[in-house]
Amino acid sequence: MHLTLEFGGGLELLLEKSTKVHKVDVPPMDGEVKATMKGLLSWVKSNLIKERPEMFIKGDSVRPGVLVLINDCDWELCGGLDAELEDKDVVVFISTLHGG
Amino acid sequence: MPVQSTAAPARAGSRLCVRCGERKAALKRPKTLEQICRECFYIVFEDEIHRTIVDNNLFKAGERVAIGASGGKDSTVLAYVLSELNKRHNYGLDLFLLSIDEGITGYRDDSLETVKRNEIQYGLPLKIVSYKDLYDWTMDDIVKAIGLKNNCTFCGVFRRQALDRGAALLKVDKIVTGHNADDIAETVLLNILRGDIARLSRCTFITTGEDGPIPRCKPFKYTYEKEIVIYPLHDIFQSILRCIYSPNAYRGFAREFIKDLERMRPRAILDIITSGENFRISTTTRMPEQGTCERCGYISSQKLCKACVLLEGLNRGLPKLGIGRTAKSGAGADGNGERQGKRPERNRSSLHGKHGNLDF
Amino acid sequence: MTSCGGGGGGGGCGANCSSSAADDAPEERLARVTISTGAAATCGKCGVGAVVVVAGGVGLCGECLRAHLFGKFKLAVTSNAMVRPTDSVLLAFSGGPASRVALQFIHDMRSKAVESWDASNSQALPVFDVGVAFVDESALLSKPRREVELAIADIKSIVSSILPSDKAMHITPLEDVFSSESNGREGRLRELVGMINDDTGREDLLQCLRMLSLQKIALENGYAKIMLGSCASAIACHVLSATVKGQGYSLPADVQYVDTRWEVPVVLPLRDCLAQELSLLCELDSLKTQQLLDRPCSGINGLVASFVARLREENPSREHTVVRTAQKLKPFSFNKFSANGYHDFLPSRLRPKFQNVDSDESTLSEVLCLICRTPFSESELQNLESTKHKPQKKIDLYTAYCCQSCHFQILPGGANMYDQFFSLLPKFWTERVDTATASQSSLRDQIEDYLLENNDDEN
Repeated sequence: MHLTLEFGGGLELLLEKSTKVHKVDVPPMDGEVKATMKGLLSWVKSNLIKERPEMFIKGDSVRPGVLVLINDCDWELCGGLDAELEDKDVVVFISTLHGG
Repeated sequence: MPVQSTAAPARAGSRLCVRCGERKAALKRPKTLEQICRECFYIVFEDEIHRTIVDNNLFKAGERVAIGASGGKDSTVLAYVLSELNKRHNYGLDLFLLSIDEGITGYRDDSLETVKRNEIQYGLPLKIVSYKDLYDWTMDDIVKAIGLKNNCTFCGVFRRQALDRGAALLKVDKIVTGHNADDIAETVLLNILRGDIARLSRCTFITTGEDGPIPRCKPFKYTYEKEIVIYPLHDIFQSILRCIYSPNAYRGFAREFIKDLERMRPRAILDIITSGENFRISTTTRMPEQGTCERCGYISSQKLCKACVLLEGLNRGLPKLGIGRTAKSGAGADGNGERQGKRPERNRSSLHGKHGNLDF
Repeated sequence: MTSCGGGGGGGGCGANCSSSAADDAPEERLARVTISTGAAATCGKCGVGAVVVVAGGVGLCGECLRAHLFGKFKLAVTSNAMVRPTDSVLLAFSGGPASRVALQFIHDMRSKAVESWDASNSQALPVFDVGVAFVDESALLSKPRREVELAIADIKSIVSSILPSDKAMHITPLEDVFSSESNGREGRLRELVGMINDDTGREDLLQCLRMLSLQKIALENGYAKIMLGSCASAIACHVLSATVKGQGYSLPADVQYVDTRWEVPVVLPLRDCLAQELSLLCELDSLKTQQLLDRPCSGINGLVASFVARLREENPSREHTVVRTAQKLKPFSFNKFSANGYHDFLPSRLRPKFQNVDSDESTLSEVLCLICRTPFSESELQNLESTKHKPQKKIDLYTAYCCQSCHFQILPGGANMYDQFFSLLPKFWTERVDTATASQSSLRDQIEDYLLENNDDEN
């Protein structure tokens, strides 16, 4: 499944490759029929994050203070962790925890 | 880089905006839990700030107002919204952008670029005052002289004063800063944790320093950080601001606590501000009497203002002078130790975010 | 508040506490000693015993820690005239370390008083009495009956080892606050709690019911005071959670030594002791505790508790600073004993200390929230007044008598459920509003008189 992931507000600095936009191909998650945000987060954590994962993830969700938008829509409206993803979706992560 | 409708198949359960009832809801407002579309969000976001400005009589027609612009998200959004509202509602304000150049290579350079772009985009005259011009020291020089410990104290004290100086040069009547509701809630908590009752009583005021030469106000007092971040989305996040001298950008537990609270109960941020406004603080708790600094004329309750004391230390090669405490050895000590100064409420605690952000 | 200080205060810290000094409050900076693990430092007070804890900036041995805590307790009791010789005091015992220590201390104080009473010739003043209450909330816990019974038997044995008299121990199920109904109390409690959507609200309502339960026990058994084991750590948590809930105005009411807004006044003699110190004392003195029936805090209260735990790691005296901040806020008129002649039992030289009643302080009684009894802030009062002045149903009035925080976190989601909700609340609470409304006209007169007086002053 092809996804476009964008990281902002400092999150990009935690990644292997510190660019904001990542076009990725996420393999189907184990045992899940549909790809969900929950699965994507754990994929990002093990495949893209290079350092201080605690700045991005807390528990099995994003750390409070990190905004998530799926196709420009607040993920809270799409079901949060259970939000289903589809091919070519754009997912944006922005941290609000860095300077103002 | 607009991403609208790249691939937005209607999702099951996607709702319509509660305000217009036409477009698809794009976000949930933390303040009201309403689900609204992006278009309506812009309207209510700007409207609320307009209401805050009007209800609190923040400005009078004809005033000159400096926007403290750091190049970060808050002040950038503030500059845009304020210039829009000024036109839309005929406030009759003369707006200026006022930036501080601390002289940190690679950090301020970027953010000053953002501010310069804002100058052109919004058509607001920009004034940059630099530590170099005011104090003859850049932060780079200071760090070279004193190392990485305590440099935030210098930066915080210098910035506060630099903003006032810049405002005086611009001959403005007011300074507005981009402090948002999250910032203020955090400050309330920090003041409780520090036992600083004098600051606790003032930190929720929307306008401060009315007795001083240039009052400061915070039009974003009731605006959630989440909404400020969502507001511009892709336009502004060209550069992230992370001071290279404070690499962890550690803002303390308090900030994280605020975000945890927000997730559990979004209104907690406003509730904390309400608490701050309602604390029963007896009127006898007053700040020390303000005089002026003998050397530079800046307001000060001592003979010399904090900036002059720090400068004297730097110039005489005694950078510890005026820090208010001698730093203990030990990694991570954000400056714990004994106090030398006589003004307890001026001392920074280890709880204070490393950035002087809150003092800006 | 019976379980105050219970859950939070594990003994994890002890002598290994990081000794980062509090730079913000000078008194905390006093001689904080770093105790390296293993190195046997000697007590900063007696110079003999081995240090077990750093308290107030000094390394203390077990003996001196006990003396230090007892000193704080006794000072709080005496300097606030918490207990009169004729009083019966009801100690709210949760089974946790704080109330366990309170039980020990109040018993010690009484024993000493009895000794000196026996020794004195005049035997003029009687000695206060002590009883213990345990509120059994097992109706709301999903614990096997057997476990609950064992835990309660434990509580009984702890108390009776100190207070052998049967009459001194009161174990009451929480659902007994619904006294009028002979059966189905448990169901009513569950239904009421089940109507609340917010976790934090549910927990806070239980807290209010617990206090009501204590009040009831005290009233029915002739106790003059209720003593809580709320320690500095628990109060620090309360300060922060109240702030987070928007209760900044009423906050100072809850952090004072004395609180007379209840039918039976409440006193907090452990207000200056940290949970860690109290837990440690229990450990050192083998004071048995029983916390099986404790509920861990959840929701906002849980977040605050873990935040405070982090702060404690960073600086062990942070909790004191937080309590001190709250003490700098203005307390309410009910935060002291003001009944005529209350202080007569004190030696005459001490009495003046309690008699500087602020004359400018309004003598008007505060309006208190129907549920949580927090004093109303300006905006809450305005809302109440405007409700009173328009045609209303009883439910509207009940609702207006709830503070904004209870409104948000305790009242059920839809206004159509209010009738049911208020009918489930203890009658004692709703009846108070009924009486208040009945005497409303007289109160209005009182306000008018007061305003007139003020005008006179100005002229």
